[in-house]
Amino acid sequence: MANDAPAVEITDLVKEFKTTMRGRPLRAVDQVSLRIMPGEVYGLIGPNGSGKSTTMKALLGLLAPTAGSCKIFGRDSIKVDSRQDVGFLPENPYFYKHLTGGETLRFYGRLCGLGGSVLRERIEVLLELVDLKDARDRRVGGYSKGMLQRIGLAQAMIQHPRLVILDEPTAGVDPVGSREIRDLVLKLRDQGITVFLCSHLLEQVQEVCDRVGIIFAGKLIREGKLEELIAIEDQTEVVIRHADSALVSRIEEIIQSSDGAELVQTGKPRTTLERLFLKEIKRDHQS
Amino acid sequence: MSSLRKIIVLLLVLLAFGALRLKFERQMLTEFRDAGLMREQNHLESRDRIDQTSSAVALGGLRTLVATFLNLRAHGYFERQAWNELQDTYETIVNLAPQTRYYWETGSWHMAYNAASYYLHESSRPPLRRKELWRSSILQGRYFLERGIGNNPRDWSLHASLGHMLRDPNKLPAMRDRDAALMAAHEAYDRSVELGCFSPMLNQRLSLYCLARVRGRESEALELARTLHEDPRHHKPTLLILLYVLEFDADPDQDAGALALRIFGDAKTAYEALAHHWRGNREGYPMDGVAQGLARMEGLLGIPPLQSILGQKLAPGFNPDDWFK
Amino acid sequence: MSESTPTPAFKASHASRMVTLSLHAFTQLVRMKVFYFLAVFAVIVIGSNFFDMAQHQGPESVGANVLRNIKSWSLGAMALFAVVISIVATALLLPRDIEDRTLYTVLAKPVPRIDYLVGRLMGVLLLVFVSLAVMDLLMVAALHLRTGMVMEMQEKMAVGRGWPEEAIQSLKQETLASGVNWQLQAAVLAIFLKVAVMAAICLSVSTFSTSTLFTTVVSFLIFFIGHFQADALDFYLKGVEAGTSTFSQYLALGFSLFIPNFQLFNVVDGLVQNQPITLLMVGKLVMMACYYVLLYTLLAWWIFSDKEV
Repeated sequence: MANDAPAVEITDLVKEFKTTMRGRPLRAVDQVSLRIMPGEVYGLIGPNGSGKSTTMKALLGLLAPTAGSCKIFGRDSIKVDSRQDVGFLPENPYFYKHLTGGETLRFYGRLCGLGGSVLRERIEVLLELVDLKDARDRRVGGYSKGMLQRIGLAQAMIQHPRLVILDEPTAGVDPVGSREIRDLVLKLRDQGITVFLCSHLLEQVQEVCDRVGIIFAGKLIREGKLEELIAIEDQTEVVIRHADSALVSRIEEIIQSSDGAELVQTGKPRTTLERLFLKEIKRDHQS
Repeated sequence: MSSLRKIIVLLLVLLAFGALRLKFERQMLTEFRDAGLMREQNHLESRDRIDQTSSAVALGGLRTLVATFLNLRAHGYFERQAWNELQDTYETIVNLAPQTRYYWETGSWHMAYNAASYYLHESSRPPLRRKELWRSSILQGRYFLERGIGNNPRDWSLHASLGHMLRDPNKLPAMRDRDAALMAAHEAYDRSVELGCFSPMLNQRLSLYCLARVRGRESEALELARTLHEDPRHHKPTLLILLYVLEFDADPDQDAGALALRIFGDAKTAYEALAHHWRGNREGYPMDGVAQGLARMEGLLGIPPLQSILGQKLAPGFNPDDWFK
Repeated sequence: MSESTPTPAFKASHASRMVTLSLHAFTQLVRMKVFYFLAVFAVIVIGSNFFDMAQHQGPESVGANVLRNIKSWSLGAMALFAVVISIVATALLLPRDIEDRTLYTVLAKPVPRIDYLVGRLMGVLLLVFVSLAVMDLLMVAALHLRTGMVMEMQEKMAVGRGWPEEAIQSLKQETLASGVNWQLQAAVLAIFLKVAVMAAICLSVSTFSTSTLFTTVVSFLIFFIGHFQADALDFYLKGVEAGTSTFSQYLALGFSLFIPNFQLFNVVDGLVQNQPITLLMVGKLVMMACYYVLLYTLLAWWIFSDKEV
């Protein structure tokens, strides 16, 4: 029964914050509704301050909705039980600096009711997964940003949640770390885990998400499958290698002579700086 | 729930729980105070005395801690001979730690002994003024100790200390009523014995030594001396002398020589004891029959009349006025 | 695949979560190096051995001053350290969790908020308990050693003065009684109880305060005002007796209803002066402390239960 329910079901969520004593309340989230089915990777994108984090906090029961409801696998988020199935990685997570990586995982595991050999094995598996085996006995206070994100992801996964919520998982992380996190998200999807992430970095959302919602000023303004959202239906792109200027002029002539067609742009396609960077360091590693 | 409503509920709960505990708390407070674990609250004067920082500490259940520090400070006053500050400090100390015998005893000792003897020997003030200060210091010391006893009626040591003070020939002249003071000393020693002092036999004798000096109580003293005399462990020179004197006082017509021999055993012992008593009697014990006894012993021991101790000049009388000349 | 099992088979009990959280808070505080203060305490205990003053009387007062100093200085330092540790530690934990956003990670797990609060409180109390136990041990050791020395000195002096054997024995008994005894343990317990109440109050303050500084200041304020509560109540009751209750007396009543009575836990002063305490009184004190701790923990939960973090 629980399996049929959507992993996330947000219905007409409204969240207002009091500003001053008598001032008008600030509406951070306005009538947001969205559904995420089990196994999906959903990306919520929007600029800073658009209501992404507020939506997530409401979903986790950290904030009480002003109106509307949030459900996780059919269970109301206000209830503590609903969090049994969720792993959460907050934005810029700071864990307890005094704990080591291993201790951090043990602490969160214990909170979820794990213990003994089950917990020990689980910690091993997760440290392996996020590639932090060597850093297990180092205090989290000395971790780099990328390592913090990875230990955070491991922490979120500790109790085998069916839903993982990631708030800006790659904010402030260098491209290599960022890539590793993206790979991890893809691994989760392969394991059948539902992922709900939010970000203001559109590109990374584009790479991993099945569906995307765009939130702006508290309102969900677009939602749908990624390909559908970003395809420009009335344009066609042709990329040619070793084209000399004569060939280009001929093609331009053909286009001009054909009815209704219009040349929008010619030029050299560019790789993204990120792709370039990754390619270069890969080469450096191999050599 | 709105925050206003939350706050109202919060206050109501606090109020209700407060009302629930109040009666029980009150009972506990009374119980603890009766058990001597806590002081009555209305000791505002002690809060006035302690300076700001200390009072915060004293309130936090650290009264005895503050008392130990004030005791250190008092010792400084003692070394500087600042007697007024010393007295004030001890007033505060005993307010903070009224159940500590040491503070009562030390405070009274500083006043009745140290301050008093300071005024005795100090030369900057005129004699009459010094005498007045000497007297008032001793009386303050006595009063302080008596307050200590009022606070700790079951402390044998405080009673014994009061006995020591009132029995002391250097303090006695300061008391307005010599006999009443000696009577009080006698009672204090008895009380210390009842409460289980370390040296009950000594204090029993000291009790007798006081009673024997009270004019008009001779028969009572004789009774006590006889009782103590039954135990050979009490056979100390002063007790034997007092027994002799009191027996003679009870029946002045009896044969002094026979009495002396009965009490002291032989003529030589009797002569030495009586002679010692005759020569120096700072304490002001009664002298009944001493001269007669000495005369008889001298006769028995064949001491020529020219060497008789009775013909020698006695030590000058004990008059505090002489001290302030 | 194992990750997609519908409901996880494990579920923590309240107790085990609270224990996890309290041990975590304890470790956190210990790794902040709070225990360094114990070195200061050791210095105080050792120092209290050196303040012996001029003696004026017989063997019975030899060293009595030192024993009293050890007791009252140690217990005073314990009371002070314990209350500072409990207030500062409690005031630190919750705001720090909010500031570092570690609270999100904890509350995003299936952890009821009451478990979180009780866990934190227990962690602080564990820290205070361990601290007090260590200090207690140091005090008892110092007192034990010194009592032996004092008794030796007293005996020497008493023998020199020709005291009878029974008097020496009696003196020894009395010195022994003012050395290590159960009264002292009751005093340490009273300190712990008072501090537990204070920690619970501090916890409830920290649930609505926005900074560590505010929580600390307010808590210390309540702590000191709490010592006047009994005065306020006396003042009100006097008015009732006289039948002339004024406005200020009702104010005093309100005050004593809202503010806990910390005076009640100040049995330490009496105990240092060897006043006896019965087991029943200790029991009542424990009950009173539990009552306060429970009340303030529930209030903290009441505020924290729907607090938006």
